[in-house]
Amino acid sequence: MATLRRLREAPRHLMVCEKSNFGHEKSRHKHLVETHYHNYRVSFLVPECGMLSKELKNLVMEIGPYYSVKNLPLHELVTHEFIHTFVKKGSFSALTYNTSIDEDNTAALLPNGKLILSLNKDTYEETGLQGHPSRYSGRKTMKFSAEESTMMSYFSKYQIQEHQPKVSLSTVRELQCPVLQSSSLAGEPEEACSALELFDWLGAVFCHADLDNQPYNFISTYRCPQPSTVVAQACLCTVTGFILPEKINVLLEQLCHYFDEPKLAPWLTLSVQGFADSPVSWRENEHGFQKGGEHLYNFVIFSNQDYWLQMAVGANDDCPP
Amino acid sequence: MAAFADLDLRAGSDLKALRGLVETAAHLGYSVVAINHIVDFKEKKQEIEKPVAVSELFTTLPIVQGKSRPIKILTRLTIIVTDPSHCNVLRATSSRVRLYDIVAVFPKTEKLFHVACTHLDVDLICITVTEKLPFYFKRPPINVAIDRGLGFELVYGPAIRDATMRRYTISNALNLMQICKGKNVILSSAAERPLEIRGPYDVANLGLLFGLSESEAKAAVSTNCRAAFLHGAVARPVPMAGSDCIRCHGESNGEALLCSLT
Repeated sequence: MATLRRLREAPRHLMVCEKSNFGHEKSRHKHLVETHYHNYRVSFLVPECGMLSKELKNLVMEIGPYYSVKNLPLHELVTHEFIHTFVKKGSFSALTYNTSIDEDNTAALLPNGKLILSLNKDTYEETGLQGHPSRYSGRKTMKFSAEESTMMSYFSKYQIQEHQPKVSLSTVRELQCPVLQSSSLAGEPEEACSALELFDWLGAVFCHADLDNQPYNFISTYRCPQPSTVVAQACLCTVTGFILPEKINVLLEQLCHYFDEPKLAPWLTLSVQGFADSPVSWRENEHGFQKGGEHLYNFVIFSNQDYWLQMAVGANDDCPP
Repeated sequence: MAAFADLDLRAGSDLKALRGLVETAAHLGYSVVAINHIVDFKEKKQEIEKPVAVSELFTTLPIVQGKSRPIKILTRLTIIVTDPSHCNVLRATSSRVRLYDIVAVFPKTEKLFHVACTHLDVDLICITVTEKLPFYFKRPPINVAIDRGLGFELVYGPAIRDATMRRYTISNALNLMQICKGKNVILSSAAERPLEIRGPYDVANLGLLFGLSESEAKAAVSTNCRAAFLHGAVARPVPMAGSDCIRCHGESNGEALLCSLT
């Protein structure tokens, strides 16, 4: 029956996997990181590493503050003064907070100066918008991220608060890691794991799930993909907040330089998750929330500067670039 | 895309319990709820009472979880009809029916179902879930109802309370879906206690069991509920100029007043 068939299907999700090398001139990694504007969580996992190096730690601690402004009418964002002070200087990002993209109006200001509005039917008809943002006026709580400290004084008549991103560092002991070969995304049977298996495994590690499929485990029956090795310790660092793509690029460069000296680890991963309520995922691709609003990407960096890039989106999204 | 709504919270006589229900709904993420008053004309001397005044319930409305807006409370009347004479109250122009935002009818026989789909001035038609369907659904009246903008309501509250009801709920729902193809379906809780309400995404998942597709199931908790409310607002406009009215700008300098949409 049609119902039974539908029940067996999962909501549609897409994942794009690609591999390349950082030294390759046509490598898209920088462009893809820069065009994923609203980043909520950045995590990286380094196997065979007890403590982060000083440079990495400093980089993570200095990711930079972000600000939240309550009850800001959107027309403030399109005044000439605002555009001149912040948008023209470059790299200013904003996103409405405490709004669900599948229920309410959401707005996002992209670093390239575009204001994207995701409106529900009533608001759209009320405002009669067709590319005329100056006629829109609403009250929202917005989250901003910018380089300038003039932010605090500009928005002083609204309630502006500065937030620091939350950093959490932990060491995972006796972690089962899959064996990977940088040249084959699909894996080799008995020799290396595929990119899809790695993606699932990484999710399990971030949830701190058990990886051995113990029969008495109630929560998870996930088993680490084979072949795998056991790593004595691995460093897992997570930064949560409203993070600019430029900072992520810097972090990515630093992580590439991790392999400048010979290290035990064969590879390391950097994962970035976007806000579930952002109206755009990459560039101006539309992002929606059906049962889950994930849009994320994951780099697997190998010691020979090869990398795998996996970009995943959920149901109501356009395909990642 | 519309805000999540639960259009059936049972109004008992206890205001405190009702307050608890609305607060739970706000906590779960519903932006709109409707308090349902049920009238059964089979019992003697049933009169339609006035709807519960929202100001009596709450001085400050609870904020919906995950948003910064308060929850919106509507009033709804459900009339259980077993006899054609029961429908007369809907035709009277000056009855208390007009005080309610949404009017629903619960037909018990096939003839009354036909009349409800084709003629009655209502917004929702309730589908029985607590017993075997007393009649088969026919395609023509259901198509007329869909064209008129009526919604078909399925409640999941009895399914939570009892296993036999669960069977009836699913089988009646599947019967309905075969004929109406998932259009204009609304899922609501019929909750009398706070523990009987489920979150909007969970109810959308339940819709999958009833035979709806992913997008139809999500619409059953959001878009279709909004459509039912708008149907009520337009079909029975409240004759007072309140602060809830919005203006619709036309091309000329004329402006039309439409009743409350926010």
